Amino acid sequence: MANEPTMVNGRGWGDQDHVPGIKSELLELNMGPQHPATHGVLRLLLHTDGEIVYKVTPVLGYLHRCAEKIAEGVNYKQWVVYTDRFDYLAPMCCNHAYVTAVEKLMGQAVPERAEHIRVATSELSRIASHLIALATFGLDMGAWTPLLYCFREREEILNLLERISGGRMLYNYMIPGGVRYDVPNDNWVADVLDFVDLMEHNKLPEYNTLLSYNKIFIERTADVGIIDAKTALDYGCTGPVLRGSGVDFDCRRDDPYSVYHKFDWQVQIGHGEKGTVGDCWDRYIVRAREIEQSCRIIRQALQTLPDGPYQALALKAIVKVPAGAAYTRVESSKGELGHYIISDGGQTAFRNKVRSPSFCNLQVVEKVGVGQMVSDLVALVGSLDIVLGEIDR
Amino acid sequence: MGQYFTDIYLAVSSALQGMAITFKHIYKKPVTLQFPDERQVMPERFRGFVHNDTAKCDACNICAKLCPVDCIYIETEGKAKDRYMTRYAIDYNKCIWCSLCTENCHTGSITMSHDYDHAVFDRRTLVYEFMDPREAKVPCHRATRIEQNWWVEPKEDKPGGDKGDDE
Amino acid sequence: MQLLYDFFTGQAGMDLAGAHIAVASLMAVLMFTVMALCAIIFTWMERKVAGFMQSRYGPMYTGRWHGWAQAVADMLKILGKEDIIPGEADKGMFQFAPILVLLGSLLAWAAIPWAPDFVAADFDLGLFYIFAVSSLVVIGILMAGWSSNNKWALYGAARGAAQMVSYEIPLALAAIPVVMRTGSLNPQDIIIAQQGGIWNWNINPIMNPFLFIAFFMYFIASIAETNRGPFDMPETESELVAGYHTEYTGMRFAFFFLSEYANLFLVSMIATMLFLGGWWAPFPGMAWIPPALNFIIKGVLLVFLNMWVRWTLPRVRVDQLMFLCWKVMIPLSLLCVVGAGLWMMAWGQLK
Repeated sequence: MANEPTMVNGRGWGDQDHVPGIKSELLELNMGPQHPATHGVLRLLLHTDGEIVYKVTPVLGYLHRCAEKIAEGVNYKQWVVYTDRFDYLAPMCCNHAYVTAVEKLMGQAVPERAEHIRVATSELSRIASHLIALATFGLDMGAWTPLLYCFREREEILNLLERISGGRMLYNYMIPGGVRYDVPNDNWVADVLDFVDLMEHNKLPEYNTLLSYNKIFIERTADVGIIDAKTALDYGCTGPVLRGSGVDFDCRRDDPYSVYHKFDWQVQIGHGEKGTVGDCWDRYIVRAREIEQSCRIIRQALQTLPDGPYQALALKAIVKVPAGAAYTRVESSKGELGHYIISDGGQTAFRNKVRSPSFCNLQVVEKVGVGQMVSDLVALVGSLDIVLGEIDR
Repeated sequence: MGQYFTDIYLAVSSALQGMAITFKHIYKKPVTLQFPDERQVMPERFRGFVHNDTAKCDACNICAKLCPVDCIYIETEGKAKDRYMTRYAIDYNKCIWCSLCTENCHTGSITMSHDYDHAVFDRRTLVYEFMDPREAKVPCHRATRIEQNWWVEPKEDKPGGDKGDDE
Repeated sequence: MQLLYDFFTGQAGMDLAGAHIAVASLMAVLMFTVMALCAIIFTWMERKVAGFMQSRYGPMYTGRWHGWAQAVADMLKILGKEDIIPGEADKGMFQFAPILVLLGSLLAWAAIPWAPDFVAADFDLGLFYIFAVSSLVVIGILMAGWSSNNKWALYGAARGAAQMVSYEIPLALAAIPVVMRTGSLNPQDIIIAQQGGIWNWNINPIMNPFLFIAFFMYFIASIAETNRGPFDMPETESELVAGYHTEYTGMRFAFFFLSEYANLFLVSMIATMLFLGGWWAPFPGMAWIPPALNFIIKGVLLVFLNMWVRWTLPRVRVDQLMFLCWKVMIPLSLLCVVGAGLWMMAWGQLK
C-alpha cells in the first residue's frame, strides 16, 4: 500500500515533471505533531502538489503511555483510573467499557439503579464529547464562535458530572459492580433534566443556525472527504463515522449492554442531505443529532431511576477476578470501544487489550485523504473526531 | 443559473442569521468567571489536594499500595509496638486525584480537600511533607497510640471505614 | 492644512519648499502615530467584541477598566521579544518584508481625507493612488512567505498573493460607480459630492441601487483584501499554522500585526469616503459634530461590522475563495458599473 503509485487527476508519482522542461517534485509536508488541526499530537506526513494531497501517512505514537502494559501491573480497580485517560473527552464511556468487561469476567450482576446512573452519566459524557467534536470541527473550518458556545454548554455538563463524581474531567466514577457514589441529594436529577431540555430545545437549534446550516460551512464540508459504506466497513470504522456513511449500526441498539434496551431512541445515520452520503457534513450532523438522542435517553433513564443499591459489592480495595477471558464492547462517543481482558486469577490482568475506535477511524485518512486539498484534509481529520489519548493509549 | 443565485441567496441569508445570533450574545451576560477575584464553589465531592492528618495516621500503607501512580511516600522505623512513622509525603507531580487512597483509609486521616491551586515555580515544592518536623515520630501501633495519648479510631467504626457513601 | 503652511511660512520663516518638507514630515510622523494607535485600539476592540460575542469578557485586568491597557502591554511585550531569523532564511528579504507590508498601508494613509481641510496629501488621483500603493502589501507577503524557508509560510504566501491580486479587481470595480457619479478621483471631491445628509450619500439605495450593491461588493472585497476571516487564507491558523508570518517574532511580527489593523481601518475609511459620506454628518442638524469625528466614527462602525463578520462565519476554502471572486464578485461588480452608469444616464446624474 505504502509504495504503490497513487494517481490523482491522471498524475502520479511516476510523472512528476508535468511541466515540460521544469523539474518538479512533490512537496513533503509534515502536518503535526504540533499543528492546530491535528487535534493533539498526531503527525500526518503529506506529499502534496500545491494544494492537492497525493499521499497521507498518519504517524502515531507521540502520546503513547503504555496504558495496556500498566494494566498488567495494577489491579482491576486501579486501572479504571487509566481508562479515564484514553478518551479524555468522554471518560464515562471508557469507564463503562472497562467495568462491563471486568463484570463479565466476574459474572457479577449490577444493580438496576447503578445501570441507570451509568447510562445517564455515559450519555452526558457523550454529549460533552460530541460538543467538542462540533466545536473543534467548526474551528477547523475557521468558525471561532461556535467553539466557545459549545464549550459553554460542555462546562455545564462538567459541572453536573463533577457534582456526581467529584472529578471535573477524569471521573474514575464507575467501579466493577456499580458506581462509586450515589446520585447526590442536591437536586442533581432535576438539574440534569433542566440542562437536557435546554440543550435539546434551545442550544442545538442555535448551533444549527450558526454553523450546521451556514452556507459557507456546507460548502466546506459537503462532498468533501467522502467515506462510502464499503470503505468504512473495510477500515473498521465505527461510531458516527460509520453511521455518517449510511450504515445503520450502533452497539447500544444492536449489541445491547447495560439498560439501553429499555429506552426509546433512534440510531441516526447520514443521508447525504447536502451532498453525498458519507461526506464530512453527514458525519457532523450525525453527531449533532446524536446529542438530541442522548438527551432523550438521559431523560428516560433519570425519570425512571429505580431505588435500590448503587453498588453490588462492598467497596473493597481489591477485586477478585477468576481466571478466564472476556471481551465487551460499548458504544463510546467515538465508536465501538472494546476491552479484552485475560485474567489468570491474580490481582492484576494477565493481558488487557483495548480496541479504540479513534485508532481504526483514523486509518481511513490514508485512503480518503488522497486527492483532496490540504484544507479538505483538515476537514476530514476534523470530522473523524479523533482523540489522540485513545489512539496512542 | 438558478442554482447560482440560490447559492448566493443562501450564503447571504445564512450568514445574516448567524450574525444575528452572535449579535444577540453581545447583550447577554458572559458566563465566564473572573478567576482570581471570583471563584467557583466546588461541589461537596470535589477532589482537590489530598490532605493527611498525620496525627490520625497509623502508617498502615494501604494508601501507598492502592495509589495507581505510587505518589505516596511513607517511611517508618521499628516494629510492632515500637513502629513509628517518620515520613509521610505526597508527590503532587504524580498525584492524579483518583481518591482511591481516601476511600480505603480506615482511620479517615487522608481526605481530599477542595483546594485546587497548585501552580508553583519549582516542581520540587510539589512534594508535600505532612509530618510536622517537631513531632518527628508518630506511633503506629494502637496500644502505643493509646499509651501516648494519640487519637485512635473508635472500635465500632473499624470494619466500614470511610465508604464515601451519599453524604 | 492651510494653518500649518501659514505657520511654517509665517512664524517659522521658511520658504514654500521648506514648508512643504516640514509639513510632509510632520504628517508622516502623525500618520504613523495614528496608525500605531489604531492597531492598539483595534486589537483591544477586537478582543472585546469577540469576547462578548462568545459569552465571555475578553481582557479584564490590565489597566483595570475592561483591560484597556492590554493591547499596550502586548505591544510592549512584543517589542521586548527576541528577534529570531531562521538559519536557512533569506536574510535580507526576511528583514525587508515586514517593512514593505507596513509601508504599503502607511503610504495609503497619506491620501485619507480626515476633514475638509485636513488631508496629508491632497491630490487629484488620490483614490487611484490608494489602490495602487495598498497592493504593495502583496509583494511583502510573498517575500515573507518565500524568505522564511518554511513550507507553511510558503503556502500562506502563495494563497495570499492569489487572493489579494484577485480581490483588488472587484475592490476597484466597486469604487468605479462612485467615481462615475462624482466625476473625480480626488477623495475630497468624492466626499463633497455627498453633501446634504444621509439620503445624499452614495449608499442610498433610492438614489442609485447599484451603488448600494457596490457598497457590499466593496465591503466583501475589502475583508478579503485585509486577509481577515472568513477570507483569511494567508493565515488560516487551523490549516497553515500561522501562514506567511509563521517564522516571525518580536518587532517584525508586530509590523505584520500593525499592518493588518492599519489595513482594516484603511479599507473601512475608504468605504466611508466612497459610500458613507466621508466626514459629513448623517443629518443636517448634526453639523456641530467635528467632521473628523464623523469620519472616524463611521470608520470604526465599519471595523466593528468587519469584526462581527469575522467572529461569526467559518472560513471558505481557497478554491471557493477564487470562485467567489472571479465568478460572483467580478461579474456582479461589472454589472454594478454598467447598471450604475445606465441609471445615472437615465436620471441625469452623470457628470
